[in-house]
Amino acid sequence: MLVRVEKGSSVPISRQIADQIRAQCLSGRLTPGTQIPSVRQMARDLAVNQNTVLRVYERLTAEDLLDVRHGEGTYVSLKIPTAQLNGQRNQYFDELTQLARQGRMLGIDDSGLHALLDDALKLSLEQDNSQDLAQAQDPSSESSDGENA
Amino acid sequence: MTESVIEVKNVQKHFREKSVLDGLNMTVEKGQTFAFLGRNGAGKTTTIKMLMGLLKPDNGSLSVLGVDPLVDPIQVRRSVGYLAEDQAMFGWMKVEQLIRFIAPFYPTWDHKLAQQYVNQFELPLRTKVKHLSKGQSVRLGLLLALAHRPELVILDDPALGLDPIMRRDFNRDLVTHMQAEGRTVLYSSHLLYEVEPVADVIAILHDGKIVRHAPTENLRAQVKRIMTNTDAIARVGSKLNILDGRVTAGEVAVTVDNADEAIELLNREEIGYRVIDLNLDEIFEAFVVGQKDIRFELPEVEPAVQSA
Repeated sequence: MLVRVEKGSSVPISRQIADQIRAQCLSGRLTPGTQIPSVRQMARDLAVNQNTVLRVYERLTAEDLLDVRHGEGTYVSLKIPTAQLNGQRNQYFDELTQLARQGRMLGIDDSGLHALLDDALKLSLEQDNSQDLAQAQDPSSESSDGENA
Repeated sequence: MTESVIEVKNVQKHFREKSVLDGLNMTVEKGQTFAFLGRNGAGKTTTIKMLMGLLKPDNGSLSVLGVDPLVDPIQVRRSVGYLAEDQAMFGWMKVEQLIRFIAPFYPTWDHKLAQQYVNQFELPLRTKVKHLSKGQSVRLGLLLALAHRPELVILDDPALGLDPIMRRDFNRDLVTHMQAEGRTVLYSSHLLYEVEPVADVIAILHDGKIVRHAPTENLRAQVKRIMTNTDAIARVGSKLNILDGRVTAGEVAVTVDNADEAIELLNREEIGYRVIDLNLDEIFEAFVVGQKDIRFELPEVEPAVQSA
């Protein structure tokens, strides 16, 4: 699992961490049942206050995304809630709306925006494929997000 | 029930005519990582020296682990792990000599722990202190501050002069060697974004007083910039806790410290607004250089350009 923290951002650190773990759980990048680093480990890796990480884990547990098994570790929940996905989708739609507005401000008309969306879809698919290929070709790579390989 | 480890009450301090602290109040609770922020010259080091019994306040009282540093400075220095700003150490000593020299000052010195830090911090024992890198000196200072297992650690701008990698390492040391052990930590800095990842509580020192003292997350949630119009500010401005305000191109930008209440008020009054999240530098700036009186920034006239 790969999480990065941007210092000095206008997004609070706890939200940065929570958003990234949540996105990885919901997108299936982290498969249900995968063990994730302990609070202590995560705090050390990111050089972030343990209480911050603890609060994030607690919040994600309350959202049924993580499953804390006492004395064992923290796992990606086996029952990822779909209601949660709807919330994320609403947020995504808001962001997309914002992007559409920005496009208009740049003078791109509706058909232009449609064309750009098609390109973006194609490009993201290509990028995902080449990433998977790179991982498949290099089994020795111990990248921290390779747990779901 | 929370227990306070440091208590500062109404402390004043002048150097000649210059007032440095003017009624400073602060409390650090047990187990907290307390970030003490202020601009250069705000009085952070002065406060820390008073806590260590190295300076005397003109007025007011201080208590460190229940001891008055003025009455019993030795007791305070024995029980607190202290790292001074630009700690002057005996440069001609080798690292191992310095450790052996310092250890006897502390009744609770743990030689095993000191050895453990030497390994973890990768300190070269045979190198003279003056030949250590900046990062190594800070880590040696940390070793000396921590090896007597203090309940309270006071660090005066430990990240000063460290590069980004060393700062990150320092934050990591703080998380693993101090927070994980349940120690109380007070450390000063002038970089809000550096302390945010690790601090539980942030206090901003300005004009000789603490101007804001809050859990790190609250500070971010409560300090926001609100964009609205001049009529709105004329109506409700006096009810907002404004840190900084300016008018540009017909819009008013006010940085407020009670965003929840401000937003509620604007909604109730049916005033249109936009809320902008601020980064930590902007939050710090609002407290230390913000101007409460709303300034009007009139557009400057472009100088006429003569075509060639």
